[in-house]
Amino acid sequence: MTETAKQKEAFFSGAARLAIPSLLLGVLAVFPLAGPGPNAIRLLFVSLMWVSCSVGWNILGGFAGQISFGFAVFYGLGSYAAAISLNAGIPRPLALLIAATVAAFASVLVGIPTLRLRGPYFAIATIGVSEAVRVVMTNLQFTGGASGYRITERGAFNQHLHYYVALILAAIAVGLSVLVRRSKFGLALLSIREDEDAAADLGVNPFLCKLEAHALGAALTGAAGGVYAGYSDFIHPPGVFGFDISVAILLMPTIGGIGTIWGPVIGAVVYGLIHEELIASFPEFHLLLYGLLLILIILFEPGGVEGLFEKLIRFARTRSGSGSHSEA
Amino acid sequence: MSTVDFLNLLVSAFLLAGVYAVMSVGMTVIYGVMKIVNLAHAGFLMLGAYFVYELFERFHLDPLIGVVLTYPAFYFFGIAIHWLIVRRIPRSDVPTTTSLLLLFGLWLVLQNLGYIIWGNADRSILTSRTFSTIQLGPLIFPTVRLVVFGAAVVSLLALEILLHRTWFGRSVRALMQNSESGQLVGVNVEKTARTAFGLGVAFAGAAGGLLAMMYSFTPDFGGAFLLRAFVIIVLGGLESFGGVAIGALILSLVETFSILVIPSGYQPAISFSLLALGLVILPGGVAGLWNRRQRLT
Repeated sequence: MTETAKQKEAFFSGAARLAIPSLLLGVLAVFPLAGPGPNAIRLLFVSLMWVSCSVGWNILGGFAGQISFGFAVFYGLGSYAAAISLNAGIPRPLALLIAATVAAFASVLVGIPTLRLRGPYFAIATIGVSEAVRVVMTNLQFTGGASGYRITERGAFNQHLHYYVALILAAIAVGLSVLVRRSKFGLALLSIREDEDAAADLGVNPFLCKLEAHALGAALTGAAGGVYAGYSDFIHPPGVFGFDISVAILLMPTIGGIGTIWGPVIGAVVYGLIHEELIASFPEFHLLLYGLLLILIILFEPGGVEGLFEKLIRFARTRSGSGSHSEA
Repeated sequence: MSTVDFLNLLVSAFLLAGVYAVMSVGMTVIYGVMKIVNLAHAGFLMLGAYFVYELFERFHLDPLIGVVLTYPAFYFFGIAIHWLIVRRIPRSDVPTTTSLLLLFGLWLVLQNLGYIIWGNADRSILTSRTFSTIQLGPLIFPTVRLVVFGAAVVSLLALEILLHRTWFGRSVRALMQNSESGQLVGVNVEKTARTAFGLGVAFAGAAGGLLAMMYSFTPDFGGAFLLRAFVIIVLGGLESFGGVAIGALILSLVETFSILVIPSGYQPAISFSLLALGLVILPGGVAGLWNRRQRLT
């Protein structure tokens, strides 16, 4: 391949890298105006909300390699914080900001003891955190305990408004994920994932980096919880702190491809669309199916959908026998 | 609190520690040999409980005999799971994300199979022992707890003999201390890992059966105990069988005596608080302790 052809390809792939997300964002932005039914908008809304959680989890779990089973804590705290703020008459954007801040603050509190643990020990400790937090929230009088918390809606319910809030948050999440991945901080996280001791020898502070990644992921998840609370008007501990929420947040990036930019997004959309159907048709089977899915993905395609996609592209290229390969 | 009350609590804490040790030791065996944190442990505990329950309900088999039967049954179940899934995990000297997610998936599958088969109703095993007590001076022992404690002690002694008197035990201990040197002196890693996994699952199943004699259970039963088992092996230092006993005792003492000061609704939060406390006192956590030991060797 000649030099100019290479440049040309680089230019096109760079343009494509920007064009596809912009196009996607544009389509999603005009989608409600095309007049789909409320159920279609709801499905997309839920998927977009999951995108923020999934991308948030991936910053810690994918980039830094710290698997957390406890992201429901941040989702739940975010939704409670947003619900209380909305009831106090605080405008929605500010309420979501409060939700993100509360979740990030909680993540630091959780992270200080647990992130000293490595790998699996951190993971199991997060199961403990989420159990403990759910127990406390079920018993807490201030938020109505087990009977839940209701949000008084001001003004008429506007589904489009909720949809756009979720879309903006998802866009912010993906943007942050790209920024992190390309920054020095992102490289530090990757180096921690590969070898924590070696990273520390090279001047990375693993504990601090993990704490920051945890906080960033928690903030995105908390804000998504806030978006959900604003939409649903009623939240209760088993709904937002439930173990299945933690499972979902972990499963989505795994489906899509852990540690990539677009994998968690794809996983969240796949999960968001399928989950609603599964829950409706097989309420008792859905966690079983997720378990099986997790086993199958880990055993046969650890790269998730994105990994599968890349394999397909490589396969297609070798089949067509393009010039660049045969020259080498 | 009177002295008698105090002694009663102390005794019940000791009795609880026995079953806690059986519950955790399976995780230690598997971790030691394969460096895998068995998250599916909770699923095996739950299945053990229902196994003993079904034997009791259908064949009127004494739960104690049921627990004895769980050992062979769950040993072979563990071997099957190892053959089906676990042996496909790439071998590593440190626990990997892959093994974690895989066994987590297995836990989800086992737990929800439990829900499909037995529903979410509370089950319990009621025998003549369940509500009887033995009075010894001012102290009162619930009979079932004494029986469970006895069974736990026998199990732990059997494991001790297995680990120190047989070639399998020597292989296990060799792999725990240093996997590479173990291979150099001719330990068959694959075979040892398979047996160790079976043994770990057998102990999980038996512990589930023992716990089922004391508590009522649902398919969600294992989760809380998984966390406890983890706290115990963390407190005990991960790869030491003596440490498991100490960790079990610490946890059961804290749980038993905290009833006096902490509202019962918050009880499930205790094991986590103990874990966090242990980590603050031991900065660097278990991994730090582990590394320190590695550096020494």
